[in-house]
Amino acid sequence: MPATALHKFITFIGLMSILHTAYSAAQHRSYLRITEQEFIALPIDILIQGIISLFIVMYGVMYIAGDFKEIRAVVDLENKSWETLRNLPSFQIFSHRGKSLAS
Amino acid sequence: MLGKIKTKQEKGEIIAYSESAVVNNAAVVEYCRISMAALSGSTAGLLGLTGLYGFGFYIFAVFGLWAMLLLKAGGQWKKYFISRRNLLTSGFFGGLFISIWYGTCILIEKMFRFKGLYFLTKYVVN
Repeated sequence: MPATALHKFITFIGLMSILHTAYSAAQHRSYLRITEQEFIALPIDILIQGIISLFIVMYGVMYIAGDFKEIRAVVDLENKSWETLRNLPSFQIFSHRGKSLAS
Repeated sequence: MLGKIKTKQEKGEIIAYSESAVVNNAAVVEYCRISMAALSGSTAGLLGLTGLYGFGFYIFAVFGLWAMLLLKAGGQWKKYFISRRNLLTSGFFGGLFISIWYGTCILIEKMFRFKGLYFLTKYVVN
């Protein structure tokens, strides 16, 4: 499945969510500073938002990166017939009597 | 186009791999891995995870990416990758260093104190 606009949108949303997490974390730290409390850990909701948005961005990036190709060499050969091997473009003739027969 | 062919012998039978497809998949995985390292490092930085916690977060992200790649392959990872364990471990240290770099760049606490920009906090927040 190639990358669509939806995947880019998902990546964008995830990045915005990460920025929002950063803003929340900064705000929490400043709140602690103003109220003169010791920093122990961030609130669980900010942590969860950070982790979830990380996974959202990873999901989007994974599809933007490109598609996997099947690694078995047989798959490439499966679509080819014996005629393909015999096909020599140098010997193709385009200017033959078929043209005058058709007109 | 059919590139060079690699072969691997497994239980008596020889499997041929198309080199161009292997390289293509490796490039996709590498792209995801570098993005994941940068993102997980910056997320760990802004969540304030340092030291061993940050390392743990990176390990968590590596496993997360592994699971997501397998999910993208749709449960038939043998069609797209030669080794599943190699998918997990390749580029581990490179990613770790990228992660640490981004983590220290974005670490919020340091951003204001270390660079003497402490006074900026009040503009950021209010």
